[in-house]
Amino acid sequence: MKYIDILERKLGRKATKAEIEAFTVMWSEHCGYSHTKGYIRQLPRVGFGGNAGIVPLDDYHFIAFKVESHNHPSAVEPFNGAATGVGGIIRDILAMGARPTAVLDSLHMDKITEGIIDGISDYGNSIGVPTVGGELRISNYYKYNPLVNVMAVGIGKNEHLIPSMAKRAGQVIVIFGGATGRDGIHGASFASEDLTGEKATKLSIQVGDPFAEKMLIEAFLEMVEEGLVEGAQDLGAGGVLSATSELVAKADLGAVVHLERIALREPDMNPVEILISESQERMAVVTSPEKADRVIEIARKHLLFADIAAEVTKTGQYVAKYNGKTVIDVPAKLLEESPEESIYDYTPSKMPKFSWIKFKDIDAHEVFERYDYMVGTDTVVKPGYGPAVMRVKGSCGYSLVIHSRADLGFQDPYWAAYITLLESVRKTLAVGARPLAITDGINYADPDVEPEGLAAQMMGLKNACEFSNVPVASGNASLYNTYKGKGIPPTLVIGMIGKLEDLNVPRPKKGPVYALGFKDFELEREKILWNEIERIAKSGHFVVSMHDFSTMSTLKSELQNVGLEMKLKIPKCEPAHQLVVVFGDVETKLPKELIGYVR
Amino acid sequence: MTRSFPKAQVVVYPGSNCDRDALWALKYVGFDAEFIGIHDHIDADLVILPGGFSYGDYLRVGAVAAREPIASEIKDFVNRGGLVIGICNGFQILIEMRLLSGALLQNSTGKFICKVVELEVSDITTPFTNYFIKGERILLPIAHGFGRYVKTDELKTNVVFRYTEDVNGSDEFIAGVSNNDKNVIGLMPHPERSIERLICSDDGLRVFLSAFNYIKLKKTQEDQKANAKVGV
Repeated sequence: MKYIDILERKLGRKATKAEIEAFTVMWSEHCGYSHTKGYIRQLPRVGFGGNAGIVPLDDYHFIAFKVESHNHPSAVEPFNGAATGVGGIIRDILAMGARPTAVLDSLHMDKITEGIIDGISDYGNSIGVPTVGGELRISNYYKYNPLVNVMAVGIGKNEHLIPSMAKRAGQVIVIFGGATGRDGIHGASFASEDLTGEKATKLSIQVGDPFAEKMLIEAFLEMVEEGLVEGAQDLGAGGVLSATSELVAKADLGAVVHLERIALREPDMNPVEILISESQERMAVVTSPEKADRVIEIARKHLLFADIAAEVTKTGQYVAKYNGKTVIDVPAKLLEESPEESIYDYTPSKMPKFSWIKFKDIDAHEVFERYDYMVGTDTVVKPGYGPAVMRVKGSCGYSLVIHSRADLGFQDPYWAAYITLLESVRKTLAVGARPLAITDGINYADPDVEPEGLAAQMMGLKNACEFSNVPVASGNASLYNTYKGKGIPPTLVIGMIGKLEDLNVPRPKKGPVYALGFKDFELEREKILWNEIERIAKSGHFVVSMHDFSTMSTLKSELQNVGLEMKLKIPKCEPAHQLVVVFGDVETKLPKELIGYVR
Repeated sequence: MTRSFPKAQVVVYPGSNCDRDALWALKYVGFDAEFIGIHDHIDADLVILPGGFSYGDYLRVGAVAAREPIASEIKDFVNRGGLVIGICNGFQILIEMRLLSGALLQNSTGKFICKVVELEVSDITTPFTNYFIKGERILLPIAHGFGRYVKTDELKTNVVFRYTEDVNGSDEFIAGVSNNDKNVIGLMPHPERSIERLICSDDGLRVFLSAFNYIKLKKTQEDQKANAKVGV
């Protein structure tokens, strides 16, 4: 175990075998964010700290959202890796008391990997949450380390917002969902090392059961509706151990967990395996003892297993027992206090002259038409046009963007992160929305080998957020995306939420098409460009903001589907530019060039 | 004076996921609408079996759902002349219940397909299609992995909707069928997803409007008869 010395110093004694297993999971990079939490603390934040980020949408609703990676599992077992990536992030949204309403995915692969697409399609379609958008980046850099980042979004009523912690001693924790098996044991640790590491076996991949997830969603929302849920946490990385200890540690409380009460799929599992299994489709609900029976009743009605798995105590100790025998007994706080690696100061330099590193131009219809993007009947703008636009029935709308610039990340991680955020703002404004907040997905190679790149990326994100006045509401970090020591380009994925008052989003119409703005990049001009995008979009013109206008096949074929033909001369520009494409005649002070037409 | 309103129920099977959309559509056109579970009783003029993945599509699409207690309720309801719409997974369940003929197999592409397709309305004499013009071409979304309709029985299949091109390998481009009494209809496309132009198209709206007015008319006639009898 990596931090064994620190652990034994803090315990003041030798660690037991069970403790080593437990802390290997909890102090893994995946769970503990050792290399990134220093940076994350520096970001401007809003609604941060729960299972997912929270921002108010209107007077009655909040929006919960978060991006999460499932890179390592998808490399070893594409179908289940990608499927459970969807399942995991959906439960984070759910745990906040929100109904999941949309999924977007950012995929970086060397070719369209059927297993990954099938995994997302099979799982997402079954649970009835539409996959409304995403980005598809095809490049050889991701041959051994594909990146599967899934962003999920949910809408909840303000009175249903659920804290991600226990409140007081005497509460109980009910664990409900599917049965627990050996799948996913040490998944968190496996996701925290090189793909050729000793934990890279199929045993550390979770197996998805979308039917159980669907039942879990409905059961949990029924519990919320009845006011039974006083705190909640989904079971993801680190399983029972991580969920129950986080719930109490955040509140300076302790817990006694009874592992024999966890329903098993494999009856011969040992107590430590039960404690750290990452079997999917499970949730932990904090409730009062008198409400626990009803919680269990609702879960069983939805064909799920459920039992009171733990009692909340005031001792501050995290005690896991199996048939009365203590398996581990450690301070709950210690499990959360993963060692923190020192962070690096990065001083930004002038933006370099970037060279083009192209991703393949593909028509994404062959991917997104395998996802149900309409279920829920709230999808206002379907995939193919750029950002997704959703509505809340009887209220306003919200826009969803997921975006990254690994091509720049390779050359200058600071400016890549910066520009990724600025471009996300442009995309949000282009559909007539105003940015509310972002979720960030850090995908990085080995931070021990190249710590500066990570520091640069995080500084770029921080400065861009401050420049744009857009805070961070949630995030995820996936490090050690390496294969035999060779890593991916720094790939920062940004998921941005915007708010729309007017749902009459501009659509492409017949007429001339212009490139508007500048072929290169100067930060001082950015807000002028934003004002123009906002003004033009509000005047009803369709605006496209893209980093590479030579990859417009998806839009072209989408227009064909609605009987429009788009003929464009691709505007030449730098990899970092300030150009947008505008459909129709518009008045503007910015440089404007006719590049084609739609008929 | 008695005035009865058209009432609809949506059967929520474990794993249904278009149940809320169907309820929204029903309320949108004016139905008194509610959900019922697989152990409940039917008390309605119209019953919808919604889309989704009942029982996760495990075993065979619709197979488990078709053997739940609600199945015999639905059969009795159909025999009494009640109206039933099965959409997508609901269509698959109706076929498994043998209320409609044929079979639904995996798409010829082997993949799930989600897109808006063009359909031709082939039969406007059903209670669900009398707001359409015969042969009219409409747009409805599809979202299914197992929608390839295959004819199985010697009995004549009453085709209500056809795709205008090969979408999933269905026999004769069949997208929706009814029973001989025309009070049960099953279709793979989703009319409940296309009731507002903002969201998709509004061609699906007329399926619900047709049913609503068919029921309303019948009820008004019944009410008039009843009211005449008591001399109101």
